[in-house]
Amino acid sequence: MTSTIRMKPRKSLDLLPILDILAILAWGILLFKYWLTGTLRLLIHPNYFGLVLITSIFLLILGTIKTAQFIADKNRFRKKEDPAHLALFPPGVGSTLLLTTAILGLLIAPGVLTSQTALQRGISESLPEVRSQPEAFRLSVKSEERSLIDWIRTLNAYPEPEAYVDQKVKVSGFVVHLPQLDDNYLMITRFILTCCAVDAYPVALPVKLETSRANYPPDTWLEIEGTTIVETLSSNEDGDKRQLVIAAKSLSKIPTPKDPYGY
Amino acid sequence: MINQLHNAFTLFLSLLVEAIPFLLLGVFLSSALLSFIDESRLINKIPKNPILGAWIGSCIGFLFPVCECGNVPVARRLLMQGVPSSVAISFLLAAPTINPIVIWSTWVAFGDRPEIVILRVVFSLLIATFIGWVFSLQKNPQSLLQPALAKRLAILNTYKKETQQSQLIVQRSEPTPILSQSNTKVLGQLSNTIQVSKNITITSIPSIPSNPNSKPKTLRPFIENVFTELRELGGMLILGSAIAASIQTFVPREIVLSLGQGVVSSIVAMMLLAAIVSICSTVDSFFALSFASTFTTSSLLAFLVFGPTIDIKALGLLLSIFKPRIIFYIFALVAQLTFILTLGYSLFF
Repeated sequence: MTSTIRMKPRKSLDLLPILDILAILAWGILLFKYWLTGTLRLLIHPNYFGLVLITSIFLLILGTIKTAQFIADKNRFRKKEDPAHLALFPPGVGSTLLLTTAILGLLIAPGVLTSQTALQRGISESLPEVRSQPEAFRLSVKSEERSLIDWIRTLNAYPEPEAYVDQKVKVSGFVVHLPQLDDNYLMITRFILTCCAVDAYPVALPVKLETSRANYPPDTWLEIEGTTIVETLSSNEDGDKRQLVIAAKSLSKIPTPKDPYGY
Repeated sequence: MINQLHNAFTLFLSLLVEAIPFLLLGVFLSSALLSFIDESRLINKIPKNPILGAWIGSCIGFLFPVCECGNVPVARRLLMQGVPSSVAISFLLAAPTINPIVIWSTWVAFGDRPEIVILRVVFSLLIATFIGWVFSLQKNPQSLLQPALAKRLAILNTYKKETQQSQLIVQRSEPTPILSQSNTKVLGQLSNTIQVSKNITITSIPSIPSNPNSKPKTLRPFIENVFTELRELGGMLILGSAIAASIQTFVPREIVLSLGQGVVSSIVAMMLLAAIVSICSTVDSFFALSFASTFTTSSLLAFLVFGPTIDIKALGLLLSIFKPRIIFYIFALVAQLTFILTLGYSLFF
């Protein structure tokens, strides 16, 4: 008899609080790690880095308080009555999802968006109309000091390709092969982030090569030096259009930058 | 394929990392307000005019920033404290959208298209006020509410009237002896009522007149609530983000574009998606953002307006407040109004 009574609490052993605590702490650690290592750059706009840091600290504090409460609770392993609350998931599923995702996030580093995504989202050489106008861009005196995004913004501000002919260019970005362009053209591309990677949109300039683009496979990061020319190309969805092209003189492969996106 | 998967995983993480701060803020505020604020004071100030009342009901969300996962219990409590059902319906429909955190997160996602942020608020207010007003025409709450709740309310009303009467007696005459008499009378009638209605448990009666927030205001219930909501909403957010990231990565752009560029097809598609993906309104704008480049503005708006009002997971709790027929009417009205308003926007702007 006594043994049955002793067995009872064990039967309703409740490990859910531990799962909750682990899930919250794991997310706190993951967000803090992303902030510390700069991985956040691959995910969201820098405006929200501070928000993520504060969140991670709050999650860690919350997890610690809950742990303390759990340890102080003498009936910690006994099932407690769940207050009337919305429950879409069976108990533990929400926390398991959170914990699994956080662990996956700790194990698998997020990647840099690739040429495939760029093709999927449609490459543009101008900033889409609905997008915010550039916060600030300085028109460098020397054209070769402009980054790819500076070039795009310049073109966006005054979209007349002829105005920029025969200027020196030195830009870096990754390679995208547009199927509709000839074999000696590639697009030098960068993503611009406004909120997070989900709405990053690619901007690019066509590059005219002296050889086949097969030498520069998609997603290779290149630094390109050359001069600007104007050609009629069908690099965007609107069909043939006169546009600014970089006639490449030298192309050098570079490692993927730590800060691959523009803002 | 591995690349695609990794890509989808990156997008998935990006959605989560952007959304979790807002989710946490929403959960913190709603838990704090639920644990520490006395809503009965607010209720006395709701105007009697049906349209004005419905409008105020729509704006209560500003004081109770709950998303659609927390609004049903609050609406239920408001009803129990004597708020007209029309006001409660307006609150139910508007609170998940008309609240500071949701407006902020929508601004973060769509700050470059302010019309989306503004119209989300305007359309939600219009719809919630209109539907609240429609239901205010039905004076008898029993025809709207779920029978058990209606009975509880009826008893509560009788009890309130009795209390008021007894207070009047107390005010008019000499205090002590009559007070004890009238109280006995009320208690006697109350116990009669308890005997009459079989569905009502005795424990539920004393809890009605007293303030439901009279529980000890310590940190523990607050932390409990934060954890419960984070667990539930976080789980939903993860599922929702996984769906959004997968659609963006694996569904060919041509298909998405062909659906997303049609005026009507895009609105219908996004409303369907809103009904299926019951992602929390605090963070649903980030979900919508992943369709920003492929879908029309009006369809994004339809998602943002319709999504918070319809919620499959809240259905169970809604059934504890309203009759099934009424829930159907509410959802049908919201769907039609959202469609008409967003279609109107796409035609005129």
